[in-house]
Amino acid sequence: MCWAVPAKVVAIVSDVVAEVDLGGGTIKKVAIGVDNVKPGDYVMVHAGVIIEKLTKEGVIENLKFIAEEIRRTEEIMGKSEEEARRAADEFFREALKILEG
Amino acid sequence: MELPKLVDALFRENGALARSITEQIHKLAPIVSKKLDRERIKIMNFCGSHEWVTTHYGLRALMPETIELIPGPGCPVCVTPSSDVENVIKLALEGYTVYTFGDVFKLPTVKHYKQDEVGSLAAARASGADVRIVYSFIDAVEDAKRTGKPSVFFGIGFETTAPSYAVLFEKGKVPKNLLFYSSLKLTAPAAEFAVRLHRSKGLVPVSGVIGPGHVSSIIGAISWDFFPKEYGIPAVVTGFEPIDVLAGVLKILQDLYTGEVTYTNLEYRRVVKYRGNEFAQAEINRVFKPVDAIWRGIGTIPKSGLDLREEYSAYNAREQLGIKERPWDYDLPPGCRCNEVTLGIAYPTDCPLFMKACTPARPWGPCMVSMEGACAVWARFGSTERITRIVSEVR
Ligand code: SF4
Repeated sequence: MCWAVPAKVVAIVSDVVAEVDLGGGTIKKVAIGVDNVKPGDYVMVHAGVIIEKLTKEGVIENLKFIAEEIRRTEEIMGKSEEEARRAADEFFREALKILEG
Repeated sequence: MELPKLVDALFRENGALARSITEQIHKLAPIVSKKLDRERIKIMNFCGSHEWVTTHYGLRALMPETIELIPGPGCPVCVTPSSDVENVIKLALEGYTVYTFGDVFKLPTVKHYKQDEVGSLAAARASGADVRIVYSFIDAVEDAKRTGKPSVFFGIGFETTAPSYAVLFEKGKVPKNLLFYSSLKLTAPAAEFAVRLHRSKGLVPVSGVIGPGHVSSIIGAISWDFFPKEYGIPAVVTGFEPIDVLAGVLKILQDLYTGEVTYTNLEYRRVVKYRGNEFAQAEINRVFKPVDAIWRGIGTIPKSGLDLREEYSAYNAREQLGIKERPWDYDLPPGCRCNEVTLGIAYPTDCPLFMKACTPARPWGPCMVSMEGACAVWARFGSTERITRIVSEVR
């Protein structure tokens, strides 16, 4: 029951209920647990309620976190600032390529 | 490509990144062990879904030998006290329509009814009771409206499930014939309980915590700040793909190395905000209040549950039906070590009943019932014990 899945909002049915597409054409009525949701938004659905939105900006922030992590480890391992940054940048560029693809 | 597919490509099917993070973990682990003079670095997850990712993708086999990933108390089905299930079974046998989630259906109880034949909601239905499995609270609300019959919803879950109940109560959508039996639990008090237990029992202390991603989408990464602030333990809220969990482990090692343990790291930025979903928090607070709650096999943890506020007492099954809370009594079936498993003290394979008297098809204890129960996860995907051994032999 604790499984959250991504879905796309299809319609807003009422002040508390939305219809979402869970993929493969499975449409479900779910409760709206976030502010300001509209058709076309990607959301996470958990036990029949929208718990948050899933956004591209958020994905980029997520990738930045990992890039910074890579940079830090390289630094701790004794790489120069420059080299560490290059490793992080390289990862980030590759990731963005996937994201834009 | 659609966003969820891109997320899969980045965080799931991304072997190159998994390899490079794993390499970094292998480089950092020995330095951290040496610096802290700790032979084993124990990292606890909270969420059953994190345990699923860890086991399903064999992440334990990717770890250096010094790093131990242990499951925590984050499976609501596993920790729902037997007394709550028993009370709901009794209501079903008395003629109430009972609505429940699918994985609560098979949950075995300690006390049995009807000459010992009924020890789960599934058995209650087999004996003629009206027990209905629903996907969500909305489905129960609609069905109860349609039937008009006296009904009870068995409300289990963590902070992630609470908004699904709260918004419908708050907006007045729940019909009067549908009562609510709350077994809702709060995650942070239980995680703190588990970490303290490791300390007080003189076990290898928990060195890092992987906070639950979806729970944190509601309560915010900020809710885990007590780990770094009060316990000096790094915490990181991660998502549910293998890359997320690997990145979480790496972050914990970095924090242990630098000693900069001040606030919770937030990896799962594509979904979680540092302060959480304030809309949902407000809805939950309007409808529910914190109460002491029983965790199965563990006992009462103060202020670790939620029940309906007085304004909603007309819906409160306990109050309306005069159900008295019994003091907690040990409530696991004989031989079951589910409490130790949920507290990260034992692995499922330490239980002599694992895959013998207790299997996913015939669960003996509560950790074998739900897809997020550690025993059920290990039963389905293997313990990785064997593969870990093989990998270390090859190395
Ligand atoms: S294997 Fe079954 S009996 Fe053993 S701890 Fe897990 S749930 Fe309990």
